Amino acid sequence: MGIEHNQWRGIGLDRQVQPASSNPVIVNGEMLAMWRGENGPVRVWEDRCPHRGMRLSFGFVRGDSLRCIYHGWAYRTDGQCVEIPAHPDLTPPKTICAASYPAETRYGIVWTNLERAAPSPLPDLGPEDGWEPVRSLYVNGSAAQVEAAIEAFDFGAPSMVRLKHANAIALGIGVELELLIALQPVADNRIGLHVVARGASTPETRASLARRLQRLRTEIEMAQEKK
Amino acid sequence: MVATTDTVARNEWVPCGWLGQIAIGTNLDTMIFGQPIRVARIAQDDYHVVELSDAGTEGRSLPVQTRYNCIFTTLGEPTRALPEISEFDEPDRRIVGCGSVGVSTCPYRLIENFLDLAHLCFIHKDILGDPEKSEVLAYKTEHRKEADEIWAVDCSFYQPAASKASTSGQMTKYIYRVMSPFSVMLYKTVNSDPSRNDAICVFIQPIGETQCLAYMPMALVDDVSTDGDIIEFQQSIFLQDRVILENQRPALLPLDPTYELPTRADASSIAYRRWLKAMNIQFGILEKQAA
Amino acid sequence: MTITLYDYTLSGSCYKVRLLLRFLGLAYERQQIDFFPGRQHKSLEFLEINPLGQLPALRDGTLMLRDAQAILCHLANTYDTSGQWLPRDERFGEVMMWVMFAGGELMNSSAARLHDALGYKLDIEAARANAHAALRVLEDHMTGREIAGRKWIVGDAPTIADIACFPYIALSGDGGIGHEDYPALRNWMRDFRRLDGFHAMPGIAEFV
Repeated sequence: MGIEHNQWRGIGLDRQVQPASSNPVIVNGEMLAMWRGENGPVRVWEDRCPHRGMRLSFGFVRGDSLRCIYHGWAYRTDGQCVEIPAHPDLTPPKTICAASYPAETRYGIVWTNLERAAPSPLPDLGPEDGWEPVRSLYVNGSAAQVEAAIEAFDFGAPSMVRLKHANAIALGIGVELELLIALQPVADNRIGLHVVARGASTPETRASLARRLQRLRTEIEMAQEKK
Repeated sequence: MVATTDTVARNEWVPCGWLGQIAIGTNLDTMIFGQPIRVARIAQDDYHVVELSDAGTEGRSLPVQTRYNCIFTTLGEPTRALPEISEFDEPDRRIVGCGSVGVSTCPYRLIENFLDLAHLCFIHKDILGDPEKSEVLAYKTEHRKEADEIWAVDCSFYQPAASKASTSGQMTKYIYRVMSPFSVMLYKTVNSDPSRNDAICVFIQPIGETQCLAYMPMALVDDVSTDGDIIEFQQSIFLQDRVILENQRPALLPLDPTYELPTRADASSIAYRRWLKAMNIQFGILEKQAA
Repeated sequence: MTITLYDYTLSGSCYKVRLLLRFLGLAYERQQIDFFPGRQHKSLEFLEINPLGQLPALRDGTLMLRDAQAILCHLANTYDTSGQWLPRDERFGEVMMWVMFAGGELMNSSAARLHDALGYKLDIEAARANAHAALRVLEDHMTGREIAGRKWIVGDAPTIADIACFPYIALSGDGGIGHEDYPALRNWMRDFRRLDGFHAMPGIAEFV
């Protein structure tokens, strides 16, 4: 298939991941649980409790622990199980551990890498600060179709590609606006886009961009239908 | 879907419909173990089951039995008879069926969920358990070799509202009985008469390796509740479990005890998986064992 | 007691009404209808209550109503002294638009659930595709609402639009429609489940 394992992929917008929440995301068919405690950064784990395989994305968060909804097993931020309600006096053995993936939050985007052991560093994709979340959206299309459509899209002002990476495109639009779009390969014909912007300081500008991106989605999917 | 070649699975009795589901003189087309079948109701109490080809033509006849509110059939030659559950023959019992509910997982996940005590206070909070009283006390499991069944006895757990008839919380005593790889039942002490047990059964129709229908016939001591109330209680419990069942990964059952990590509360699941491994069943199992 | 709800616990449509009754703190009598396997909603007796043979139905005094969406409007209109659940100002049309969407396109999610769980025969691929299309419409709307710093479908407080849309989105997994592609809807569902007076139903987790 030619999809490189050791790659950072955007899976969500940092400010859209609610405190004390667990969320399902899929990268190349791998099911992941994207979660955060009441405070602290977003973490990315295999979406599977090692007890009986229940998806941790259905779990609930108390403090800085993620609890599996099936039997209430509690996992702390490093993945170690710290409580088994069926045995309140038992210290869970060290072998009971949720499997975690590398996770980083940068440019307002949550990134993960399916290469657990030695992920290469997250590439530089622009300035560190000033990014505002615009939206996530999911499209039926291939990575190639999505990238081509982004490059050809009418954003309302002359746009040009500033930077193109394996899973991200940075665009300059008009005089002041910059967009960074991270691509999340979900499955063969499904891509998630996570969009942040610099120079779109008002909610109205971001809302207008968010609506415009719906048209991008429609264009990609209508081109699909013609085939 | 292709019909399974696993003879252990093929030799089991499984349900293919419930009594009253099929109007007299009509058929129900369904599937067991990947094999399309047709269940025909010839007369009031007379059912015929035949295999169907991919083209829809009727093939060989299959054995049929009606019992426990279900129509049972088999693809093979069972050495294990349908279980004896004497509660269904007691004259003052309410016999209630709940139709069947579809679930996308392997049949073994349903059995294990039914046997499981540790989830009652989370998934069935305020009905079958209280999260403040989550401890699962030790219980005993037995492989009763003559009947070739797995039993879990001396199970007790605090329940706020153990059945439709109960009015307050109590320590409820359970006995579990796994009658076949695809069927399980619970004996639950009757509130108003602790010398008797309610019998709550689950018979599974395996459609494919990760697709089942669950039938839940019950024989109860209860002359207070309506049928609708009893069915509503059971269906509510089951629809709470169904979310779990459909979201366990993998959907096939892993027998490797280092892949899914049990604790002492999982004793019945441990015994059940050991039993499945020993009978060398392949259908629905993650690690296809050497035939 | 003035209110009787003809109810089936597993019905997401009945749950819409149960949610508002609880939010409004209204006492009511529940008549359990054996929807499955008994098909009691198609019985001659029940057809006199609702000629469409559907649940929920609600009797309030001498008034007999069917259709969960209409019942929500009646209850909010009659009993909500705060005016929060059914605003009568410029928000009224928008609230009604989403209430009707809940009784329209979103019911594809209910169809998929009836197919997968209770064996109803229907075009499941179409039901799922149409359900995803409907979820996408509300996801786009709630994305815009998040950008504007708002949590609810219309206005600054939950309305019957949120109540009407919630059940068949929260239960969509029962019909094979997952929430992986809907981050704004996931946040909205969590906010809804955290409301004072919220209660769950089978298929919707108790713990948020």
